[in-house]
Amino acid sequence: MGYEWDFGIVFRDFDLLMLGLINTLKVTGLALLFGVPLGLILALLRLYGSWPIRIPVGVVIEFLRSTPPIAQLFWFFFALPILIGVEMDPFRASVLTFSLQSSAFFAEVFRGGIVSIDRGQWEAAKAIGMDRNRTLRRVILPQAVKRMIPAFLERAIELMKTTTLVSTISYADLLYQANSIAQSTYRSLEVFSIAAAIYFVVIFACSIGVRRIERYMARTGETTAH
Amino acid sequence: MEHNWDFSAVFANKALLLMGLQNTVILGAICLVLGLFFGMFVGMARYSRNPVFYWPSTAFVEVFRNTPVLVQIVWFFFAFPIISPFDINAFTAATLGLTLNTTAFSSEIYRAGIQSIDKGQWEAAKALGMGYGEQMRRIILPQAVKRMIPAFMNRAVELMKMTSLASVIAYGELMHQAKTISTIEFNPIEMYTAVALLFFALIYPAAIAVQHFEKRLAARG
Repeated sequence: MGYEWDFGIVFRDFDLLMLGLINTLKVTGLALLFGVPLGLILALLRLYGSWPIRIPVGVVIEFLRSTPPIAQLFWFFFALPILIGVEMDPFRASVLTFSLQSSAFFAEVFRGGIVSIDRGQWEAAKAIGMDRNRTLRRVILPQAVKRMIPAFLERAIELMKTTTLVSTISYADLLYQANSIAQSTYRSLEVFSIAAAIYFVVIFACSIGVRRIERYMARTGETTAH
Repeated sequence: MEHNWDFSAVFANKALLLMGLQNTVILGAICLVLGLFFGMFVGMARYSRNPVFYWPSTAFVEVFRNTPVLVQIVWFFFAFPIISPFDINAFTAATLGLTLNTTAFSSEIYRAGIQSIDKGQWEAAKALGMGYGEQMRRIILPQAVKRMIPAFMNRAVELMKMTSLASVIAYGELMHQAKTISTIEFNPIEMYTAVALLFFALIYPAAIAVQHFEKRLAARG
C-alpha cells in the first residue's frame, strides 16, 4: 500500500515552524554574543594567566569540549537551579549552556590564532616600547582574528546545529514546534521532513557563504590553510 | 542555599549506569565502523569525475552535513517508520542517523585524503598496468588513510558525544539511564554530575590521543 503524502496540513502550521526557526536563531545569536567575548577571555587566561588561573581555566575548557552538549544542558537545566536556588526557564538554560559550551570552542580558536602569529611580531612591538597588553590589542589580535574568521564561522554553524538540543527541555525551537505539530496532526513524516528541509536551507546557505569567504581569504592570503 | 551532596543513590544504581555506558559504547562503535566503511565509498564517489557518482554522493553529503544530527535521528525514529519496509526501534533509528551522519563527514575526510596524494602516484600505478580499482585499493588508499587517522579519531570523539542524543528517542544509553534514575531518585544534581564525569572519562582520553597523534604526524612531516 502506498503512503498518501499530505503536505497541506503542514503548510497550515507553517507560521509555527517559522516561529520555531526564529527561536532557534535567537538562541544561536545570543550564544554567539556571549560565547565569543567569553572565549577570548578564556583564551587569554589560558595563555597568559599565572598557573592558579591557567590550570582551572584549561580544565573547564577541556571539560566543556569533551562532554556531550546534552549532558551540559541537562545539568544547567535540572541540576544547577536546585544547587544554587535560582529559577531557571528553558530559554535561560539554553542560552547559558550554549554560551559556555561555545566559549570553550571559541577559546581554542582564539588560542590557535594567537599562537599562530610569528614571534617576530611580539619582538617588534616590544622594540618600539609596547607592553604585553598593548601588543596583544594592537598587533597580535587584529592579525589573529583575521586568520580565525573561517574557523569562527564554521563554529557558528556547528552551534546552530547543536541548538536543536534545546527542544529536549521544551524550548520552542524549530524541532520542538515540528514535534508538537506532528503530535496534533499525525503527519510526522511530512512535518519532520519539512522541518529538516528548513534546517537544510538555512544551514546550507550559511555553509556556502562560509566557503565563499574561505576561498576569498585563501586567495588574498589572509588565512593559513588547515 | 547549601546543598548536601549525596552520591549514594548514584552508586546504588551502578548496574543501570554501567548498562547505559555499555550501550553508549556499542552504539558508538557500530556507527563508527559502519560510517567509516560507507564513508570510503561515498568519498571515492565524491572524488569521481563521473556525474552519475558525483552528484548523488554530493547531495547526500550536503544534506547530512547541513542538518542537525538530532533532526536526523528524530526523523528516522518518527518519520521514516511510516514509509519504511522494516520495523524501526530506537536503536535502529539512532544507528541509521548516526551512521549516515558519520558517513557524510568521514567521506569528506577520505576525499581530502585521496586528493592529497600526489598525481604521480596515480600515474606510476597506471604505468604498472593497474586498473582504477587496483590503483585506489593498493596505492592511493593505503597512503591516504595514514594521513587521515587523526581526522578519523576526531570523528570518533564527535560520534561518542553524539550518541547521547539517542536518549531523546529513549534508547537506553548513558544519558537516558541518568534521566530515568534521576526522576526516580530525585537526585538530578548528583546524577547529571556523575554522568558528565563519566562521559568526560570516556571521551577525554580519546581527545588527548588525537592531539598526541597529530603532533607525531606533524613532526614526521
